Amino acid sequence: MQINPELLEKIVTEVLAEIEASGAAPASAAAVTAAPEAVAGVSLQEKGPASRGTDPKEVVLAISPAFATTFKTTIVGIPLSAVLRQVFAGTEEEGLHVRVIRVYHTSDVAFMAHQAARLSGSGIGIGILSRGTSIIHQRNLAPLSNLELFPQSPVIDLPTFRAIGKNAAKYAKGESPTPVPTNNDPMARPRYQGLAALLHNKEASFQDPSKAPVELAVSFE
Amino acid sequence: MAGTKRSKRFEALENRPVHLDGFIGEWIEVGLYAMGSPQDPKPSIKIEGDKIVEMDGKPRSEFTAIEQFVADYAVNTKNATEAMAKSEIELSRMLVDINVPRTECIRLFTALTPAKVARVLETMNVVEMMMAMQKMRCRQTPANQAHVTSAKDHPVMLAADAAEATFRGFKEIETTVGVVRYGPFNALALLVGGQVGRRGTLSQDALEEAFELEVGMRGLTHYAETVSVYGTERVFVDGDDTPWSKSFLASAYASRGLKMRFTSGTGSEVQMGAAEGKSMLYLETLCIMVTKGAGVQGLQNGSISCIGVPGAVPSGLRAVTAENLITMCLDLEVASGNDQTFTHSDQRRTARTMPQFLPGTDWIFSGYSAVPNYDNMFAGSNWDIADVDDYLALQRDFKVDGGLRPVQEEDVIAVRSKAGRAMQAVFEELGFPPITDDEVEACTYAFGSKDIGDRNIPEDLKAAERLMKEGITGVDVAKALAKRGFRDVAESLILMMRQRVAGDYLQTSAWVASDGTVYSAVNDPNTYMGPGTGYKMSDERWEEIKSIPWAIRAEDI
Repeated sequence: MQINPELLEKIVTEVLAEIEASGAAPASAAAVTAAPEAVAGVSLQEKGPASRGTDPKEVVLAISPAFATTFKTTIVGIPLSAVLRQVFAGTEEEGLHVRVIRVYHTSDVAFMAHQAARLSGSGIGIGILSRGTSIIHQRNLAPLSNLELFPQSPVIDLPTFRAIGKNAAKYAKGESPTPVPTNNDPMARPRYQGLAALLHNKEASFQDPSKAPVELAVSFE
Repeated sequence: MAGTKRSKRFEALENRPVHLDGFIGEWIEVGLYAMGSPQDPKPSIKIEGDKIVEMDGKPRSEFTAIEQFVADYAVNTKNATEAMAKSEIELSRMLVDINVPRTECIRLFTALTPAKVARVLETMNVVEMMMAMQKMRCRQTPANQAHVTSAKDHPVMLAADAAEATFRGFKEIETTVGVVRYGPFNALALLVGGQVGRRGTLSQDALEEAFELEVGMRGLTHYAETVSVYGTERVFVDGDDTPWSKSFLASAYASRGLKMRFTSGTGSEVQMGAAEGKSMLYLETLCIMVTKGAGVQGLQNGSISCIGVPGAVPSGLRAVTAENLITMCLDLEVASGNDQTFTHSDQRRTARTMPQFLPGTDWIFSGYSAVPNYDNMFAGSNWDIADVDDYLALQRDFKVDGGLRPVQEEDVIAVRSKAGRAMQAVFEELGFPPITDDEVEACTYAFGSKDIGDRNIPEDLKAAERLMKEGITGVDVAKALAKRGFRDVAESLILMMRQRVAGDYLQTSAWVASDGTVYSAVNDPNTYMGPGTGYKMSDERWEEIKSIPWAIRAEDI
């Protein structure tokens, strides 16, 4: 995908409008009054505060503040409903299941995933940002360490998301899977970094440092 | 444009690689602005006793943690009144004036506030910045650093690539991982391969900070660089850090005799959505001053992994040049970037490197990809191994010492093979998964990881974990090498561990020669004062740079 100048302009205009509308008030106001969450293909309903699980057969997936609400696709246009579906499928192939939480206090994917791992009954968590950046984490690791990191959002495709779910489940079962092959595109940065900065500024505007993670009921349509 | 008749000229231009780059317009409110944003603070200072009570228009009671740290530790209040009284033009002219010695510039620039420093740089064009760099870098002789990584984290390939890189002249080498748990093996591969290529090589393994410190303490690496600092409190805190915690980490390295530098760069704050509307260069100035305040000897900057951000906005690459120069003006070692892809255009990427290459810096690249970019796990460098003959030609064209030397194919094959065999011996002695002769052979002759087979990754990862659990150190590696006939490599490892005790390479901008001599800003200080002074290329070095093997020699015709 080439950078779409219209998309850029739209994001810039929207964020500017929000800044104007909210004055100097915390931008998280937008998240507090979030409209019913809607993205084609999946429904995400908030169920209340995310709690610490005890089920060793669960992997907890943390998604970012505006995942599948304001943002509908990853940076390369993969629908976020399909991303969720693949992570679920990968995990379920291994006989485990995914519990999804939405994190509001950070949009740093390492801290999101570490939060997920700490709440996870198996101790394994996944973090995914709206633009696609992903990580598999484990409870007892340092937050900025990880089991597997997928730092280049533009090269993460659906089979990779499925493999991430599958490997997370394998770690949860105590196995040592072969890590998901790392895609590396040296030209991803020249093409996408400016756009990623815009997207991250947008996503970060939905952050609320005082809001605890929320558990989501997920149903695919 | 449907239905509009198109100019073939414009259609052709749209198909040029530069049109794949993401150019974006300025956006002042979020800090997507290179330098001199109207929202940057105005310079000011008020001192009571020896304490700064107002800086850049803000009373002390309103300082952020970063501003307080900078005010308390990075501004020399003794000279501040004198320095701040000078105009920005006066100060920038001192930087390019060959009659003003470096030491005088340092005396004044270390007494300026962040907003003042940023404003001085705004008065300069890039040629003036390059002139200033020639005088202001702290070590006289330039040097170069390489990235050595592998998309497969293949230990034998990494060792062979490390050996080739250091044989080609890179004095520091840096690795990171595709899979984080390969970290211990990557450190081991660079340790062994780096010393095979050139005794005295400094190697590092850029990973999570606690891990980096531990492998350093064990003698598996010699320095660290990826200790990141940021220009806004929110980004700092998001990383679970403060200027004080970073200073504490820095002192942990120093107390164990390990070289280290901080990392920062324009664009990181806006990339993380927390630039608070300030220009990239102003925020980077805060980072450089945090580094100075922490007492760290040097800094890697030049945007680094965020180069796509300044690279996308107007005057961005000028700001990147400026940040390197500010680092030098605060008497810090600079590892000056050029280490990440930011463009599809060969013209832009070459031009981006000239402001560091032509005047010379402590480390022109930080680093140059000594592997093909598809193997570069820092997500690609601005130059890679496929460009190395172009680089050698540029050194020769301009008579510039860019830190590399021409090499012969048979010599490179020999050091790659030796590094592979040394790794094979170490793996066997330490009981790690075997390395076959075929693997050594494949890695000796390969261009990149696409030319070699796959390792049994889960087995390697278990062994890498064991390396950490069992407390294996550089001494164990040296013993294994000596036992298996690689006594010279073992001696190199011990030589480097002795450096940790001597501590000379903790001096600013240090590197280690093959005889163990440390060169730094202390015994190789920059003395540039105009033409005929400063770094002078020796006849021997010029002969070396001239001798690219593929040049036609008159005597052969």
